[in-house]
Amino acid sequence: MIQTDNLTFQYKKSEHIFSFPNIALKERENLLILGKSGIGKTTLLHLLAGLLKPASGKIVIEEIDIHSISRSKLDKFRGRNIGLVFQKKHAIQSLSVVENLQARLFLSGKSINNTVIDFLLKQLDISACKNSKINTLSEGQLQRLGIAMAVIHNPQVILADEPTSSLDDENCNVVIELLIKQAKLTNANLIVITHDHRIKSLFSNSITL
Amino acid sequence: MNIWKISLKNMRSKPLYTFLSLLILALSIVLLLGIRQLETSFKYQMQNNLGEIDLVIGAKGSPLQLVLASVLHMDNPTGNILYEDAKKIGKSSFIKTAVPISYGDNYSGYKIVGTTANFATLYNAKLEKGRIIKKPMEVILGATVAEQLQLKIGDTFLSSHGLVENDINVHAEHLTIVGIYQPTNKTIDRLIVTSLESIWDIHHHEEEDEKSESHLEPYENHEKGKEITSLLVSFRSPSAFLTLPKRINENSNMQAALPKYELEKLYQYTSVGLKTISWIAYIILVISCITIFVSLYKMVKEYAFDLALLRTYGASNFQLIRMIGYEGLAVGVLAYLLGFLVLKIGLYFMFNIIETDYQYSILQKLPLQECLQIGLLVVAMIILSILFAIYPIIKMNISTTLSNEK
Repeated sequence: MIQTDNLTFQYKKSEHIFSFPNIALKERENLLILGKSGIGKTTLLHLLAGLLKPASGKIVIEEIDIHSISRSKLDKFRGRNIGLVFQKKHAIQSLSVVENLQARLFLSGKSINNTVIDFLLKQLDISACKNSKINTLSEGQLQRLGIAMAVIHNPQVILADEPTSSLDDENCNVVIELLIKQAKLTNANLIVITHDHRIKSLFSNSITL
Repeated sequence: MNIWKISLKNMRSKPLYTFLSLLILALSIVLLLGIRQLETSFKYQMQNNLGEIDLVIGAKGSPLQLVLASVLHMDNPTGNILYEDAKKIGKSSFIKTAVPISYGDNYSGYKIVGTTANFATLYNAKLEKGRIIKKPMEVILGATVAEQLQLKIGDTFLSSHGLVENDINVHAEHLTIVGIYQPTNKTIDRLIVTSLESIWDIHHHEEEDEKSESHLEPYENHEKGKEITSLLVSFRSPSAFLTLPKRINENSNMQAALPKYELEKLYQYTSVGLKTISWIAYIILVISCITIFVSLYKMVKEYAFDLALLRTYGASNFQLIRMIGYEGLAVGVLAYLLGFLVLKIGLYFMFNIIETDYQYSILQKLPLQECLQIGLLVVAMIILSILFAIYPIIKMNISTTLSNEK
């Protein structure tokens, strides 16, 4: 469950104040947030992830006002309850695919379960590159790994920032369907922030900034 | 998976940087530890071998050479002095004991020293086996000599003329082993001790043989007299330091050398080199720590997105700092162990050569305190490098880092 209330944000050295519509998602509900470049989409995603502190308003995830807790508690909360998917698929370069997932579980404070990792890799069809180094993966494999990293720890909220902007139509649908499927499997809220209108049809719930 | 493993994987992912940091740091550690070990060994040998010897009286020449030859037995003597003259000085009220030594022969490279019973007391040497010397041509072996040459009481051998092992100038007189000293870790361990009479007898017979064979003119008077190489003196009171050496040097054909002063002078000369190497080692240590800093800082900057990503995974700032810290400390610990190992192997070979040349092992164990001092210095430098390198992590804005990477 995620809920925001009168959220605003202002960057230092900028007079512009971003003001965001309220969000209220119940369990398993997904949301698509559309908007043009520079409108504050990524800012909103970073606010929801607790990476930025709002100028005013509050964000409640699983009944916790995330900006009212200490920084160290917020780090832990984020690690346990939030999964982030980025436009540029990234993982720790010095680790293999499976080690990245193990590190993700370790840092989120969850026990490392190799059966769960194997199951997820199989679901995302990247079992074959389980022990591969990150720099040997294809773009498609990196995207799937990015999704795996965001869901392996069973988060309450999955936040995806422009996950399809550089993909063709076919792969665009594949990635969003994978995200929706994983969110459903883990009972998480999925919030996708994008300017890509091709995926609008895949969401029943959307807002435009 | 844990922070330590992530750090190790990171190190392995950039082998060249890791190897370079390790190598430079290990080099500075080798130099620092090596210098300390040489200084320790040198000082120990100086102090240990001086025993109660306050003054060495011998033939005119280099005072340092006289001390090196008579106390450490590491150089050729400056010449001989008349035993009668030496005995007169030995009767001075300033002198507590005066031990004459005479040498010029060796067996298998180990020097044979003719002396009196007091010689052993200068080094606190006690008999392990056998008895004291009762008549000429009897010898007592130092512990190292007995061990290295596998000699035992009752064995006999022939000495060679000169201080270097040779098969040409071999004397005809058999020397019999009557005792073996306990190990002392002092010069006496590598000496063969006999009476003055043994040395005089061996050389007297040789002189007579030479005279009869070559029909040479009779030797001059002073060569007929009994000679010794030097007189090892211990003073009765400190005031003797001020008067006796000066008196001998000015009023006799002998010279008096103060071993402590001469060896300290030698140490001062050699320590200039050691100090220079120490400074070079410190500079290399600073350079190696800068290399570690650059390596860590580069990682922090280049992998800023990775680190920001780790923060989104739930890693705290402290965990990221630990990750960098472990990497720096791992390089430090590995470099220290590598340096220590290289030093031990290097010194082993170096001192093996010296030992072969001088029949003398001067290498001392490096005290733990010295090892710890260097170790702490290295750790302090690495911690400093880490502190500089983690600054970007402390100042990191995750949101900006993630946005900029897009």
